[in-house]
Amino acid sequence: MTNRRIGVYICHCGGNISDYVDVDRVRGAIKDEAGVVVAKTAMFTCSDATQQEMVQDINEQKLDGLVVASCSPKLHLFTFREVAKRARLNPYQYTQVNIREQCSWTHTDDKEGATKKAVRLIRAGIARTNLTEPLDPIKIDTVPKVLVVGAGIAGLRAAIGLADLGMSVFLIEKSRDVGGWVKSFGKMYPHNKTGKKIIEQLVNEIKKRENITLFTNTELVEKSGSIGNFNIKIRVDDQNHNEINVNVGSIITATGFDSYRPETGEFGYGLNGVVTLPEFKELLDNSDGNLIYNGKEIKNIVYIYCVGSRQDSGVENAKRYCSRYCCNAAVHSSIVAFEKKPKIHQFHLFRDIRTYGKFELLYNRSREKGSVYLKYDENEPPTVETDLSGKLRVTVRDILTFGEEITVQADLVVLVTGMVPAKNDKLIDALKLPLGRDGFFNEIHPKLRPVETVVDGVFICGACQGPKNSSESVASALAAVTQSASILKKGYVELEPLIASVNPELCSWCDECVNSCPYSAIERGQYQGQEVAVVNKAVCKGCGGCAPLCPKDAINLKGYTDSQIRSMIDAFLKETF
Amino acid sequence: MALVNPSFIDEVKRSDEFNASACMNCGVCSAICPMGIELLPRKLFRYVLLGIGEKVLNNIEAIYSCLLCKMCEVNCPAKVHIAENVRSLRYVINKKVFKI
Repeated sequence: MTNRRIGVYICHCGGNISDYVDVDRVRGAIKDEAGVVVAKTAMFTCSDATQQEMVQDINEQKLDGLVVASCSPKLHLFTFREVAKRARLNPYQYTQVNIREQCSWTHTDDKEGATKKAVRLIRAGIARTNLTEPLDPIKIDTVPKVLVVGAGIAGLRAAIGLADLGMSVFLIEKSRDVGGWVKSFGKMYPHNKTGKKIIEQLVNEIKKRENITLFTNTELVEKSGSIGNFNIKIRVDDQNHNEINVNVGSIITATGFDSYRPETGEFGYGLNGVVTLPEFKELLDNSDGNLIYNGKEIKNIVYIYCVGSRQDSGVENAKRYCSRYCCNAAVHSSIVAFEKKPKIHQFHLFRDIRTYGKFELLYNRSREKGSVYLKYDENEPPTVETDLSGKLRVTVRDILTFGEEITVQADLVVLVTGMVPAKNDKLIDALKLPLGRDGFFNEIHPKLRPVETVVDGVFICGACQGPKNSSESVASALAAVTQSASILKKGYVELEPLIASVNPELCSWCDECVNSCPYSAIERGQYQGQEVAVVNKAVCKGCGGCAPLCPKDAINLKGYTDSQIRSMIDAFLKETF
Repeated sequence: MALVNPSFIDEVKRSDEFNASACMNCGVCSAICPMGIELLPRKLFRYVLLGIGEKVLNNIEAIYSCLLCKMCEVNCPAKVHIAENVRSLRYVINKKVFKI
């Protein structure tokens, strides 16, 4: 038996839970479980009123454990941890049981089953809580320095932002020059400044700041350590191939993107006069007056959108995502082309136009100036061929002209190409950053944690995490700056204590656990002259992969110890025996 | 199959008043046309913008059937000067076809 005093709160979640789970029956089933002294239901456990009631109960009933059966811990784990803290109960003595996603939402066709499942899950939660012990967050001192990888518009802006917050910045760039793609861009929307000018401006700002050290021709080769204190080895590709070690508190990755290169024959790519969007932009920027391609004047331009974006999933290595930036870039280019040569004819063949936000104005302006937009169906893409006279002929079935098949003779066909992930194999390897389905770096949550990665202290920003335009890149760069500063300015970080711990009395250093750890968090150490496994607290994520593999049962996961898991299984199976 | 003829576009678009490019293809104009001319104005403007002269010239009768009543124009959400556009199109046809 137990002498614990646990409070259990079962949430209706409006009707989200109670429409399918009979919460009163659930309460009745668990109220006499060992250790339970308070068992209540509430319309919304997350509401202010119920939170206050919980605080009051914890204090008045002297509770030493809390179980909330409600929604996913992803939503309210921290809400109720705060409730526990406010009542001076250790937040790690609280367990959240998910009876919304796991019961009511999944078993809408079986109310009886959903209710029974909720009872079992809550019993397991109570069993786990019975064996909880107070835990304290792990505190780690941080180094007020940041490494920024990639000196494009995002990396440059991030470096300036960090320097202004009083942090030392190491800014490394793989190529010879800084500025990335933007430095080669001509006039940009909406301010009409050239990309070159914007980069110059940023570089000037960088030069003014003494706490930024810029390395070009430099790559990151090795990373060790953890959040707050990383040891980084960088290689400068000069005559001596210098390797430099730097010590930083966080890392911001801003390695940008590559432009999609169409396959030969894809929308006529390879034919004389078929160019990609970056090639066309270069042609535009280098012309002052007449637009000439291969010695011939350009009078008619056809743009084909979604080249290398939203490809058929049946194709190997298909780029299934929308690159977002290309519609805007192409529409803007067409306006620049009109400025250079007002008499030009421009035809835009699109699947869908996504000139979102302020770029809508650009789209309207381009139409007013004479661009004509033709919509093609993805199953009937336009074809590009050369006729007998060597002219390009683009044929398309235009939905907006009522399915009419239309042929345009073009002097230039611009394939509006999307963004693809930059090739960064070495960096991905060194930083151990996971990639998303499309090959870009993956953030933890696109809305709530948009620049953080699963590697604590490593942030991503700009187009390395997915297609972005330059202003979005800068916005995310500054988000990464704020995130870095928020962990480094405080001087220390607090990490979850729910991690693996090794009992050195039992460990015989067989290294089974080392091989099982995906985060390289287990190292060789010493205990009373014996070799034993030691967990690096800052790196361990508490995934639990090592614990069941240990042949000596020497590893336990705090918060999920073997005895806790066993008691949970017993609780699940209560009526079965 | 229709071939785009850019010079036809230039011929029609000489007047600044011609603003068919604002047309969003919504179809309000066709729905309320008292003459029930299916071609006018949205289909017609599409052919004009693309310079498909052949389709335009094949439909001269429809173009001259328009009453210029502006029922479509007052209801156009994109503020296309429909009547003015039809008029400038007639001007081109007068010159080109009827030689007047």
